[in-house]
Amino acid sequence: MNRGAAPFGAVLGVLGVAGFLAAAFAGAPLAVQGGALGLGLLALGYAVVSAGRAAGHGEVIAHREVRFGTLAAAAERLGRRPLLRAGLLGGAALLGVGGGVLLRVFGPRAARGTGWEAGVHLVDPLGARINADAVPPGGVATVWPEGRRHLELTAAILVRLSARPALPPTRLEWVVNDTLVAYSKVCTHAGCPVGLFRERDAALFCPCHQATYDAARGASPTFGPAPQPLPQLPLGVDRDGFLIALSDFTVPVGPPAG
Amino acid sequence: MQLRRIVYPTHWSFLLGEVAVVAFVVLVVTGIPLTLVYRPSIDPVVYSGSAELYDGQVLPAAFASVIRISNDLPGGLLLRRLHAAASYVFVAAAVAHLLRVLLTGAFRWPRAGNYGIGVGLLLLALLMGLTGQNLPFELLAGNSLRVTYAYIQSFPYVGEQLALLLYGGVFPTGEIIQRFWLLHVLLLPAVFAAGLAAHLLLVVRRTHTQLPRRGVDAGQVVVGERVGRGPAARSAALALLVAGVLTASTALVPWADVELQGPYRVGEAANTLQPDWYLFWPEGTMRILPGFKWEVLGATITNRTVGVVFLPLLLVALLLGYPLLERRLLPTGGDPHVLQHPLDVPLRVGLVTGWFGLIAVMSVGAADDVIAEVMGVPLEAVVRALRVALVAAPPLVGWLAYRYARSQRERWGERV
Repeated sequence: MNRGAAPFGAVLGVLGVAGFLAAAFAGAPLAVQGGALGLGLLALGYAVVSAGRAAGHGEVIAHREVRFGTLAAAAERLGRRPLLRAGLLGGAALLGVGGGVLLRVFGPRAARGTGWEAGVHLVDPLGARINADAVPPGGVATVWPEGRRHLELTAAILVRLSARPALPPTRLEWVVNDTLVAYSKVCTHAGCPVGLFRERDAALFCPCHQATYDAARGASPTFGPAPQPLPQLPLGVDRDGFLIALSDFTVPVGPPAG
Repeated sequence: MQLRRIVYPTHWSFLLGEVAVVAFVVLVVTGIPLTLVYRPSIDPVVYSGSAELYDGQVLPAAFASVIRISNDLPGGLLLRRLHAAASYVFVAAAVAHLLRVLLTGAFRWPRAGNYGIGVGLLLLALLMGLTGQNLPFELLAGNSLRVTYAYIQSFPYVGEQLALLLYGGVFPTGEIIQRFWLLHVLLLPAVFAAGLAAHLLLVVRRTHTQLPRRGVDAGQVVVGERVGRGPAARSAALALLVAGVLTASTALVPWADVELQGPYRVGEAANTLQPDWYLFWPEGTMRILPGFKWEVLGATITNRTVGVVFLPLLLVALLLGYPLLERRLLPTGGDPHVLQHPLDVPLRVGLVTGWFGLIAVMSVGAADDVIAEVMGVPLEAVVRALRVALVAAPPLVGWLAYRYARSQRERWGERV
């Protein structure tokens, strides 16, 4: 039996820990810090294992004394009284339902409205107004209302269709130049930004759970977990050729609540 | 109660829970310095430090503090990586321990109550992981907070009110990071520690179960070692070795490095977004289940209600109630203090395999976009295959496991 194993491990362990402390405060690379501390801890563990092996271990046989406390006794008594059990469960259920009703009636409510209004200009994330010719065919852009509050539900995405024309259920009176259409960017599944666009089939794609919407058909869900289409933002053009919103979204934005 | 009177049976599978406890201690030890520097706020601040990518930029305070920990604090990045690595081992070891308890029948009365506490501890671990991984408020964390808000909203009748109450307003509120932080560093670990103490106390009072032994009535006696130098040394060695492996891994694997993702900004998302692995299972249902919207009795039922409310609640209820279920299905259970070989109870093998099989399919679903890209197949094909697998695979693997266990028992007889 190697009697020097335990002391060797202990010395290596202490060196490792000291090395880590020095490396950390000297700004050494992480590989050095982690390696030093890791090796030190492993060496200490090896030292303890060796010392334990040297000490040996003995086995005993003891009588099994299973103990129960007051809680266990109470639970057992309850188990033998079905009426009491039913009463307690029913009472708890009633409390739960009552709490739910209170929550529903007196609980907080979210304010409606997204910040889009009639006549508001569309701006890019840097704040510049967007010209009706700015987006190339097959391209998308994230847009916000100029000068209004930017809530999480406000984000919208501008799409210039190239491969397929816009057709109902897209509201054609809200489409600019037959190809430029805007939808809410908030996915109706769980609210992630729908930022990916596949040009060949005009598919808007959400990265979180892969909800797929048809941008040429009113952003109706074609595959994936979305329950309803993305609301369409009514688009128009002002006298100088910049894009404006004709009104707020006409249907609720974002995932429907329970 | 004298500590020295406790006799503890020895087997490698009895150490799995201890690995989880060691990982929890590592989490607490690394978590304390992390939380001293972390700032639980999303107010914009200017970061000035040694991270060239972000020097001089306006960032949310939480993200800026994490960048500071990673770059400007001595040993900071090691602490962050060790904390993340320990969290993965924590949950993995707890699940392995659960599997051992389930397959050897250690949950039978009089240990059913303690089994329930154990399941509660696992759920707390998942919650601690959820609250912790969102604290850095990077792009992934922000989107994770957003979808969690939508999941809470999908609760029937009271979803919107619950979400507004829990988040302190419409997402994104500054409150939510503070609340997640409070849960993660104080409330959840405190409840976990109390539950762990109760769990261990109950193991001592009900006595530890025993593997069958020739010549010994394992129901009446416990064969093992007295708590003392031997087991204490083994526990210390286990702790040092687990901590050592975790620390060495931080030198090789970039656990939880968030710098390249950037801070969360409203309206932005990355290409592939996945939570930590132990939360893949509710995330997967969101991708596998199709979209629908039913108005039922004044409530709106969508893919979210089924996938992250009903189905997980059902799975947890099945797990918690398994001791009761087995007692109804298998009235003759043998001595509850004597562990059984997993293959000796074919029905249990089948049911446990089926349950974990469902969790596995749900988890694979969370990586559907990665699978589609790696295998070069369209995403729709992967999702359709997973839809079939979700319904067909759990009963199939459960039945196959049951048949295998029965064939082994018929071939070899009961193992002692």
